[in-house]
Amino acid sequence: MIGLGGLALAPIALGGALLLRRAWTHADARRPWLIVGGWALLAVALAASVPVLGAVRGPAILLALASTVALAVVAAGVELRTAKRKAPRELALEPSDRRRIAWRGWLRGFLAGPLGGAAAMAVGLAVAVCFPAEVKTRLIIGGMLVPFLWAGGMAWTLSDDKILRALAVLVGVTVAGFGAVLLKGSL
Amino acid sequence: MHAPQSKPKPGKPIWPKVPAGFVRAMLAGHSALGLAFAALIYLVCFSGAVAVFTSEFTRWEQPAVPVLHSVTPAAVGAAFEETLAKNPKAHDLFIRMPEPAYPRLSVHGDDAKGAEHTWFADASGKLVAEQRTPWTQFQAALHTVLHLPSSWGFFVVGLTGVALLSSLVSGVLSHPRVFKDAFAFRWGGSKRLQEADLHNRISVWGLPFHVVVSLTGAFLGLSVLIVGVLALVVFDGNREKVFALFSGPPVADDPRPAPVIDVAKGLAVLQAQNPKAGFNYIFVEHPGEAGQHMSVNRVTPGRLSRGETMIVDGNAKVLGAAGFEGGNLGMAIYSSLTPLHFGWFGGWPVKVAYFLLGLGLTAVTASGVAIWLARRRDKGRPAPRWERVWVAFCWSQPLAYGVSAIVALLATGLPPVAVWGGVTLLAAASAFLWTPAVISVRLRSASAVSLALVALVHLGLNTGKAVDPVAWILDASLVLGAVLLAASVWATKKSAAA
Repeated sequence: MIGLGGLALAPIALGGALLLRRAWTHADARRPWLIVGGWALLAVALAASVPVLGAVRGPAILLALASTVALAVVAAGVELRTAKRKAPRELALEPSDRRRIAWRGWLRGFLAGPLGGAAAMAVGLAVAVCFPAEVKTRLIIGGMLVPFLWAGGMAWTLSDDKILRALAVLVGVTVAGFGAVLLKGSL
Repeated sequence: MHAPQSKPKPGKPIWPKVPAGFVRAMLAGHSALGLAFAALIYLVCFSGAVAVFTSEFTRWEQPAVPVLHSVTPAAVGAAFEETLAKNPKAHDLFIRMPEPAYPRLSVHGDDAKGAEHTWFADASGKLVAEQRTPWTQFQAALHTVLHLPSSWGFFVVGLTGVALLSSLVSGVLSHPRVFKDAFAFRWGGSKRLQEADLHNRISVWGLPFHVVVSLTGAFLGLSVLIVGVLALVVFDGNREKVFALFSGPPVADDPRPAPVIDVAKGLAVLQAQNPKAGFNYIFVEHPGEAGQHMSVNRVTPGRLSRGETMIVDGNAKVLGAAGFEGGNLGMAIYSSLTPLHFGWFGGWPVKVAYFLLGLGLTAVTASGVAIWLARRRDKGRPAPRWERVWVAFCWSQPLAYGVSAIVALLATGLPPVAVWGGVTLLAAASAFLWTPAVISVRLRSASAVSLALVALVHLGLNTGKAVDPVAWILDASLVLGAVLLAASVWATKKSAAA
């Protein structure tokens, strides 16, 4: 039956998650073995999914089911606290406090949005046009790179305080990428 | 005598030490991006979790249509010919064949006035009903284009995917306690800690899913833009030349009249070539012209790909394959994007997992904003108006989905998107009336009632008919959803009273 092979492997992933949770809750001599055992079970489930469910489809099914069972393990271990008792202060880092300067905010938004998108598009198209591979392969890989690079650029420009450096890099990448595409001119 | 148990000392961290300044900078970027896109990401994630079951909702919304687990080529040919007879000048027709997730035979085409219709056929190929599934179409369009004009809608959804992917990158890089807190899930007490645990645990353990859906979603959404720019740079703006690369052997356009293509014969030829592969759709172009041809998609069991497309000409001669399954790496990736994004590759277990993980991603978005609001409150700079607005917006969606489904079942003339928009606005307006805790409880209660009512109305309309069994399963699931929401309200009230 379709998909039921994944259910057969889910208990192995569940076993792995339970071992890891046990290692997390008990800091004793067995902890390293529990960590190794937990990850080993997850790896076994992933490896077994290939012959059972298919070369690419199997790991995709297993990762979806393993994530779900791991979250179930997390939920099962919920620690309920009373709202009126003040919880112990946790050590958590705060976001950096930046000076609020309007032009920097607008420039940062421009870098993360339109310019980051243009730079990602330039690299993606350069790969699609210039990369040494079959046309459809480089088109798809180049296309897939666009959201990936745009997202990376977004994360970088929004967190880097040196926004003029980011501006220079993104402009350079855009010019170089589109320049390479225009120089070659065809697929 | 045993010494009293003390809390175990934390071991040496496995994760490399990340400089605090780097983490703080990443957190700043993560917060800025998350806040800018929070509402869009929330909407796309919530609608995406529901859209996993688009095929099932189509069956649920019109459950009395014949359930067909297989169909003969002759029946498909008959359904095609009857549809074409309604408009012999149709430019193209789209035939959907029975599959495990969608055991129906349907033909989509336009009538003589240009209006588009989809008809369902029985096992003999006779058309028996017209498709009327406004709610299913509404929820699918909300996820894919947000009901905006299609190019803009795809772009906005794609950009939302990029923002989500970027948040994943900055979120992972700003989480130095990924192993130390791997299973910590504290509920109650500090609001900020509770939301942070929810946010971080779902984010980390669901990370493979989050990366897959955001990357594939961003690519699918931005593909219109990417193809447009590529065409502009390489093909003088001709997009068709880009699409032609992925369409298989070309068939020259020839408008001279010709006997209509024999769909049944073409299917029989393909069936003989590869008896193991199933059919899932057929796209017939220019029927009745010398240049007529059909693209037939075939699914090989056990593969991630959405199938291989075979091109068949007007004389039922197989011209070749597009190359999705037997071609190169790029085609293999391309053909797996849609199944990977929607969870349509592993039967119902994967769909259920995708639904739960999709709701988890929705909760991650909701809790991300809640952390920011709690942090402001902890620092003595509360934003009470935004606290109310965010809670009202988040809990507006299950209610708006429930009410729009009830109206779609009872009053087919009303567009569900208008009902959804109206209920969303009304629910959001509750931000002006109550505290966040009251808004949450009341909207959750209303959502529970609406989901139960959807199931009751659906049962009332279909009891006594021969109905697709999936409809009953979805009704039971809606009731289960209502019970869970009601239980969450009960738990909240009990906790507040304690």
